[in-house]
Amino acid sequence: MKQRAKIESTEYSDLAGVVAWFIQLRWIAAIGVFAALLLSDFVYSYRLPYKALYSLTGILFLLNSSLALYFFQLKAKILSRGEMSFVFHFQIVSDYVILFLLIYLTGFLKNPLIYYFVFHVVLTAFIFPRKAVYAYVISLVVLFVLTAVAEWSGWIPTFGSIPGLPTVSESYPTSFLYMFALVSTILITGYLITSIMERVEERGQRTELELDHYRRLDQAKSNFILQVTHELRGPLAALKGYHEMILKGITGEISEKTQKSLQRANQRTQNLLNIIDEMLDYAYMKSEEDKQYEIEDLSLKEVLNHNFELYNILAKGKSIKLIISCPSSLVVKASRDLLDIILGNLITNAIKYSSPNTTVTVNAEEEKDEVHLSVRDEGMGIEPEELAKVFDEFHRTRRARKIEQDGTGLGLSIVQKAVNMLNGRVTVYSEVEKGTSFHIYLPGYQQTTENTEVAVPGQDTDE
Amino acid sequence: MAKVRVLIIDDDKDIIETTGALLEHAGFEVHHSESVEEGIEMIGVTSPDVILLDIMFPEKKTRGFEAAGEIKESYPNIPILAFTAINREYAFDFAKEDIKAEEFINKPVDTDRLINLINKHLK
Repeated sequence: MKQRAKIESTEYSDLAGVVAWFIQLRWIAAIGVFAALLLSDFVYSYRLPYKALYSLTGILFLLNSSLALYFFQLKAKILSRGEMSFVFHFQIVSDYVILFLLIYLTGFLKNPLIYYFVFHVVLTAFIFPRKAVYAYVISLVVLFVLTAVAEWSGWIPTFGSIPGLPTVSESYPTSFLYMFALVSTILITGYLITSIMERVEERGQRTELELDHYRRLDQAKSNFILQVTHELRGPLAALKGYHEMILKGITGEISEKTQKSLQRANQRTQNLLNIIDEMLDYAYMKSEEDKQYEIEDLSLKEVLNHNFELYNILAKGKSIKLIISCPSSLVVKASRDLLDIILGNLITNAIKYSSPNTTVTVNAEEEKDEVHLSVRDEGMGIEPEELAKVFDEFHRTRRARKIEQDGTGLGLSIVQKAVNMLNGRVTVYSEVEKGTSFHIYLPGYQQTTENTEVAVPGQDTDE
Repeated sequence: MAKVRVLIIDDDKDIIETTGALLEHAGFEVHHSESVEEGIEMIGVTSPDVILLDIMFPEKKTRGFEAAGEIKESYPNIPILAFTAINREYAFDFAKEDIKAEEFINKPVDTDRLINLINKHLK
């Protein structure tokens, strides 16, 4: 994989961007050349072969116009790698030829602007792999040497330089020094830029590999959490089954003391299940932070009935009455997954911190073009100074710990995150020893087609 | 009145034992199998009124999910209650709607609720 040709490894859109950039650079260069020619012709009146120079500038404009037309008109057409490579080589070669002619006609080695070739070498090294760069640079050097030899030998005409600048003596050693400076500059530039580009590319590949590595780790992490959660819930299901068997006397008579102990064991098992759910929710939301949730129009009553089914068992186990009330025409714009997470956490929380023979009420209604969903309990309540912190991750109030030792302190932070993802808001009201209510406002509406404004009480508790 | 016959297919022996005992205690006739293949064979022999099917098996995560389809092909009239320990839909990598089961139940399930669901699907 080392030494990948840049042309072959770069994304097509990036290559197209480079071509566009080259065309832009060439416009600036052409305008610069034209301005310089006008200046030397009319202001300084240098003696130069202007006809040829203007013609070259014209050719440069024409060339760039055709390239621009070719490229932008045919933008829709995707060029093949080969065609693209040809476009690049064509550009580089034509640029070298035009610059060479411009420089040759304005004094060649005696014209200090001959160092502008360095820019071309930099751009060549930017787009081509090492071999192509060396081929270009060496051809350039050969062209310079041959031209210089031809000039000295009188085989081709020598054109005048700019007056005022120190003229290069046509004697052999000085010219040799000029030639040496130019050739070494070109060669070193070619070598340095190619090496720098290779290093940059290598670093880019390393970064890409590292990113890939992290992506895979992240994926493995979330898969791991889901798998582990599944493995944890399975044994607990069996454990609860045995508790129930013993409590029902299937395995034989049990004393009241055993019954009490076992009920406690069963409660702790249930707590553990809730903790696993919370951690699963938390892990899921963390691993899917950038996921776009599918927001759909949901019948809130249907969702609430489903959740009632799931949590009424929990409520019955603690002799708590779970009431759900929602007009059947209420539609909420939400993701089913997130809505289940919100309801699951709020309802289990309410049941957890309520004493027996109290009621947990889930109520839903339309309010100012929003859906107002509330979960109210008659439990222990939250102290005013603690209220602000209940949505913090891993935060549990001191009193909550006292009543129920088990808990992650994640539930409400999950609720808040899920509500935010659904473009809603959540607030909490609480009075110590009277109860707590959570209020969630979500986008939604009341279906007007049927006139069922009356709040249909949800399934009541069975008994 | 004849007892309602329930076939439990689950790789977890303890789930078979507890769920089986609790259902027997409630007056059901319970048969069970720890593997999908044996379970499907047992359908012909025991002709259950309802099947409790675990949808995740160790050898292949979606084995039970596929089994539901196989059972429905041969026995379209036996209701299937799909069983899974995962209780969050997002944790599945397949859609719940694709599972050919009448009901979807999370483990652990309250026995009263399980009995209600079984009765709901018996005609």
